[in-house]
Amino acid sequence: MATSEQKLMTSIQAPVAHSGSKVTIVGVGQVGMACAFSIMTQGIASELALIDVMEDKLKGELMDLQHGLAFLGNIKINAGSDYALSAGSKLCIVTAGARQREGESRLNLVQRNADILKGMIPKLIQHSPDTILLIVSNPVDLMTYVAWKLSGLPKERVIGSGTNLDSSRFRFLLSERFNVAPNSTHGWIIGEHGDSSVPVWSGVNVAGVRLRDLNPAAGTDADTENWGQIHTQVVQSAYEIIRLKGYTSWAIGLSVSILTKAILKNSRNVFAVSTFVQGIHGVEQPVFLSVPCVVGENGITDVIQQTLTDGERAQLQKSAITLNEVQVNLVL
Amino acid sequence: MASTETKLRKEIQKPVSHSGSKVTIVGAGQVGMVVAFSIITQNIASELTLLGVTEDKLKGEMMDLQHGLAFLNNIRITAGTDYALSAGSKLCILTAGARQREGESRLDLVQRNADIFKSVIPKLVHHSPDTILLVVSNPVDLLTYVAWKLSGLPKERVIGSGTNVDSSRFRFLLSERFNLAPISIHGWIIGEHGDSSVPVWSGVNVAGVRLRDLYPAAGTSADMENWNDIHRQVVQSAYEIIRLKGYTSWAIGLSVSILAVAILKNTRNVFAVSTFVQGTYGIEHPVFLSVPCVLGENGIIDIIRQTLTEDELDQLQKSAATLNKIQSNLIF
Repeated sequence: MATSEQKLMTSIQAPVAHSGSKVTIVGVGQVGMACAFSIMTQGIASELALIDVMEDKLKGELMDLQHGLAFLGNIKINAGSDYALSAGSKLCIVTAGARQREGESRLNLVQRNADILKGMIPKLIQHSPDTILLIVSNPVDLMTYVAWKLSGLPKERVIGSGTNLDSSRFRFLLSERFNVAPNSTHGWIIGEHGDSSVPVWSGVNVAGVRLRDLNPAAGTDADTENWGQIHTQVVQSAYEIIRLKGYTSWAIGLSVSILTKAILKNSRNVFAVSTFVQGIHGVEQPVFLSVPCVVGENGITDVIQQTLTDGERAQLQKSAITLNEVQVNLVL
Repeated sequence: MASTETKLRKEIQKPVSHSGSKVTIVGAGQVGMVVAFSIITQNIASELTLLGVTEDKLKGEMMDLQHGLAFLNNIRITAGTDYALSAGSKLCILTAGARQREGESRLDLVQRNADIFKSVIPKLVHHSPDTILLVVSNPVDLLTYVAWKLSGLPKERVIGSGTNVDSSRFRFLLSERFNLAPISIHGWIIGEHGDSSVPVWSGVNVAGVRLRDLYPAAGTSADMENWNDIHRQVVQSAYEIIRLKGYTSWAIGLSVSILAVAILKNTRNVFAVSTFVQGTYGIEHPVFLSVPCVLGENGIIDIIRQTLTEDELDQLQKSAATLNKIQSNLIF
């Protein structure tokens, strides 16, 4: 006797096993889940796999996301600790990683995280050989290098979330001073994500009117309007938000979902993301740093060549040396 | 000497101090923050205020939301403990409230939450006399009644999130059995949000094909296909997710933001929300229970009259009697 399900429907063909725009997120902490929710609610992916080690947490998050689907475009969601769930992903987003312990050296933290990636990256590639990797775990520029080395993928398919978020914070803070919308205020932060990031003051503009044309000293030590304070605030942002609410989630989740959209939709938007920069702006080391990149379905297709000041170039080169020093001491 | 900001812009007029579609969320916990993030990413409000008791947490959440704005349409976000910040809100969403302690009676919990509402509701209405109140805090049907009593607002402007999320869970679980998108499966859970909710099996359908026409015993005690288990799972959902991940956030947050869309955009969609039901379905008590309602800018516009079985009507009336008993013992 036919079940109600069979009575309802005449099958024409079986549905596909793996749909076209599948995304895997490794790590279901605050950042990973904010990425998942952002992706889901913006209708960006057709399938989402969440991978982590804690089975209960994974299952709870899976159910909680699924229970909202009646209000959204459908998306197939899976969650578990088995990397086979990630098979067929167009994009794998890595948010998992250890946090810095008190007094821990950067090299030590990076080595610990490299060891975590050693157990993760090869499995992701095995199950999705054509995937793009988007690395969020910190320190992101170093972790993107590690992921690239472990993956065997061409460099254009391994991207770090980099200074996309720093730039968003920069634009918000600039917008508060100009009293216009953040997405009408343009400004780029490049280089090393974190304390040593580089604000490109020459590019800051509203409707093409450059800040430096209105105030030639903007961002320099001679600046009486103290625009440089904005960059300081950007650098402090994460520490400040962590101090206030315990962690950051919404902005990084949104930043990652925007990059996801550009990759899955091949939109070819420009974002400041961490990419292989040996040979760019006089960088000689094989490191990853953020520069404005055109992002599409096959990863990074172009780097936008900004005209940097001597000081800005020097900062990038200094970051490259520091990163390289850590990289050569890593055991991969 | 003119500042850079004044050099950039020639002022035509001042911007408005309070824009047209402002939302206040009381409570910056897991649920409140998902509602906030959903509202922001769906671009439905022009202004958002977060109110609560913990200044640091509020400030951290506000900053984290603001730092994503470069990727979105602009929205003005404020946060703090001062209810004056909420002035001019079209919609105030109540997510704050005490959670049930071990062994605590329902009456005790409701009284504790009524006491919290006593200090919150009058201030909200004072600052936004024309607002609509949307209550999420549990037990939601009772607290919607409390909010209504404390607010002095007409009953159509005080809404409880009710069984909107129960219905979403119902539709997701049904969709798993039918292997279709949740948004294409229609089913309503009404009545008291929680253990005593009422699944209206006669309405469950896909493309107008009713489950009860395919299988008349669906959802009854004679059901051999075990459709009843789906309602059981809905009732257990929150407890299960809390056990697995510690709390629920995504589904309830999304379900509330969907109601906010309907109200702010005057969409006149139908949702199962908690409304004043005295006089409906033979209910004699002045209580709030969920029924399918048409929602718009001025609140509840219509109630959809479902044809309920005697058993379904009995359950509603029983819930009404239970709620009324508790309500009569509350101290306002």
